[in-house]
Amino acid sequence: MFEEIPTIESILPLKIYNSFYIPSNIKRDIFMMERTVKCPNCGNTITTSGSYGEVVKVICPYCSTKGKVTFGYPISSDESAIEVSNLRKEYGDLVAVNNISFKVKKGEVFAFLGPNGAGKTTTVEMIESIRVPTAGAVKILGNDISSSFDQVKERIGVLPQEFHSFERLTVRETLEFFQKMFKNRASINEIIANLDLKDQENKLYMNLSGGLKQRVGVAISLVNNPEIVFLDEPSTGLDPKARREVWEVIAGLRNKGKTVFLTTHYMEEAEYLADHVAIIHKGNIIAEGSVEELIRKFGEGSILDIKNCKTEDAIDALKQSGFNAKQEDNGDIEVYIEHKERVLEILSILRHEAIDYDAIDIRRSNLEEVFLHLTGAKLSEEDE
Amino acid sequence: MNAGIIWASFKADLQSFYRSKATLFWTLLFPILLILMFGAIFSGVGDAEYELVVVDYDDSDMSVMFTEILNDTDIIKTNVKVIEEENILSYIKNNDIKRLIVIPDDFEQSLNTFYFDENVTTSIKFYFDQSEQQTNSIIRSVISAVVIELNKNISGGKDIILIDDIETISGEFEFIDFFLPGMIGFTIMQTCIYGSLERNTKFRKDGILRKLLTTPITRTEWILSKMLFQLFLSFVSAFLIIVIGIFLFGLNIHISLLMFILIIATSFLFTGMGMVIGRFVKDEESAGMAGGAVTFPMMFLAGTFFPLEQMPEFLQTIAKVLPLYYVNEGFRNAMIYLKTDDAIFHSVIVLIFAIIFFLTGLILTKWKED
Repeated sequence: MFEEIPTIESILPLKIYNSFYIPSNIKRDIFMMERTVKCPNCGNTITTSGSYGEVVKVICPYCSTKGKVTFGYPISSDESAIEVSNLRKEYGDLVAVNNISFKVKKGEVFAFLGPNGAGKTTTVEMIESIRVPTAGAVKILGNDISSSFDQVKERIGVLPQEFHSFERLTVRETLEFFQKMFKNRASINEIIANLDLKDQENKLYMNLSGGLKQRVGVAISLVNNPEIVFLDEPSTGLDPKARREVWEVIAGLRNKGKTVFLTTHYMEEAEYLADHVAIIHKGNIIAEGSVEELIRKFGEGSILDIKNCKTEDAIDALKQSGFNAKQEDNGDIEVYIEHKERVLEILSILRHEAIDYDAIDIRRSNLEEVFLHLTGAKLSEEDE
Repeated sequence: MNAGIIWASFKADLQSFYRSKATLFWTLLFPILLILMFGAIFSGVGDAEYELVVVDYDDSDMSVMFTEILNDTDIIKTNVKVIEEENILSYIKNNDIKRLIVIPDDFEQSLNTFYFDENVTTSIKFYFDQSEQQTNSIIRSVISAVVIELNKNISGGKDIILIDDIETISGEFEFIDFFLPGMIGFTIMQTCIYGSLERNTKFRKDGILRKLLTTPITRTEWILSKMLFQLFLSFVSAFLIIVIGIFLFGLNIHISLLMFILIIATSFLFTGMGMVIGRFVKDEESAGMAGGAVTFPMMFLAGTFFPLEQMPEFLQTIAKVLPLYYVNEGFRNAMIYLKTDDAIFHSVIVLIFAIIFFLTGLILTKWKED
């Protein structure tokens, strides 16, 4: 009797018997009929072939171990977890979300980045079926939510914006409460351990710090072992340390293969966590891609910061040499450089003009500059 | 101290205040309504009159004059009836008479005889319902004042006319018997309305309702689970009140099926009412005020702490459209007075209110955001 072992390889989810499995380091065209499996006994790889759904007997030529492998239907890594088409929300004359469309791939962290009031929460709440769209369609894991959201509920986890749980329940009681609503149930002990909540599990929710409350919020969203986790502004209002802790939790979700839909107005959060970013501004998606792609496409190259510059005509000297430079309120000078090679040129000007400064810092352009480039305003300023 | 910051903060508060119609109403208009209402109860507006049934066996000029004097006080409204003496107690019981006086057939004769026999006396019987202690003490003092005045005019102060106090329902009931069923109704009302409001405002604000929308639990399951908890709380409250009543106040109480039906119906009624209110208030502060606006007047107007008869007639009419009035009367009739027919009548009214409010609440309560 062979025992079925679930695959951990998302690219090729074969049902495998007798511990034959597809090694994760083998990159293959999954649509080929020829497959490679690994012998559980001696570890050697064996090439075999079969059609989708076929059960194939395998005998290891190296150690003669016998087993079976069932070739499942391929799930492409390009398969969408979420598909949003022409989603629109109107409140009277106000168009909060303006016919936006995008896809979220399985297993990625998708960041929906934009200032407050841009339409992030309205969008995510329409996807979560909390708000009714004026127009458009949303598919989650292939299900149209307008007709079959009930089927989807078991497969998603949601942390709403500004979520506060029941004040007088302990962390464990809270998780148990929400877990009981689902048929799919993750281990509470495992969630508590993974989210580093062991010391807090018997504390009342009302007595937790803001960061811990958000961590509990994320924990609640995991009680049904969801395939997709929606986190709406999970680190808003937290201090930098607590925010960093929440980021680590989200990074942990990605490492476990969850699809994460994250809304945020912190560009650092998107940069740190996201595989894919969509920037929303006034209800429209104005840019979309990986962080690298967005910076490459819309960023300003690199930025050289001249710290605490004490020479008054330094800006003029840089501008005369064709550099885009500007003085910050704190006295620092920011110089935009398209190619790193131009750093030496700047250093030469500084030395030649005897410009006095404390230090020089070079950083690459970030999403803040992307947003600035696209909208003419800083993300942080838009929030104010 | 930065005056600019203080002004900015003051201005922001002012803007927030006048932009919230609910806060405006509950903060400004509602207290005015309360002042008007309670002013009407406790001042001369409406001039409360208490009905007093008079059985005049003498039917003489003096007895008629005595009745007219009582009537002229503007506090007592006499209602003269002809009842056989042996039927008086059953008449009181069957017609729910709160107070009645009997003028004996020797009334005028005794007053006329005084000039010849200084030891002559005549007794007016004053039948009163002990459960309406406050009202009846007012009536008793008015009758006493009239009697003292008459005695003074006729005999110079010697007591010719006496008052013989007779408690109806054999003195079995005291004010606490009246008060405690009212407290049960009132407590269930408070628990259910505020519990329901919390679910619909605080949970909405905290994102719990949004979270629940994304889980398999249905709205009906959620409401039902909370309803069961409210029922549990209602039974616990009623039980505690009854236990305290029996052991601390020696309350005479009858546990019946009707009482259980009333507790259940009352819980559904006020939970539904809370759901209806919760639909129209968005934040916790407004919800608290709205809850108070509903429970506070009902508490006073529906005969929870004192009988309706102490109020002007128009307020008594208002009281009879308030659900808590039927709840209180239902509990009293089912648990204390053992008037089964009346208890059933009041229970049916409460059930009808419960169905209307709970269904309306169910329809109006929505989880989805606009």
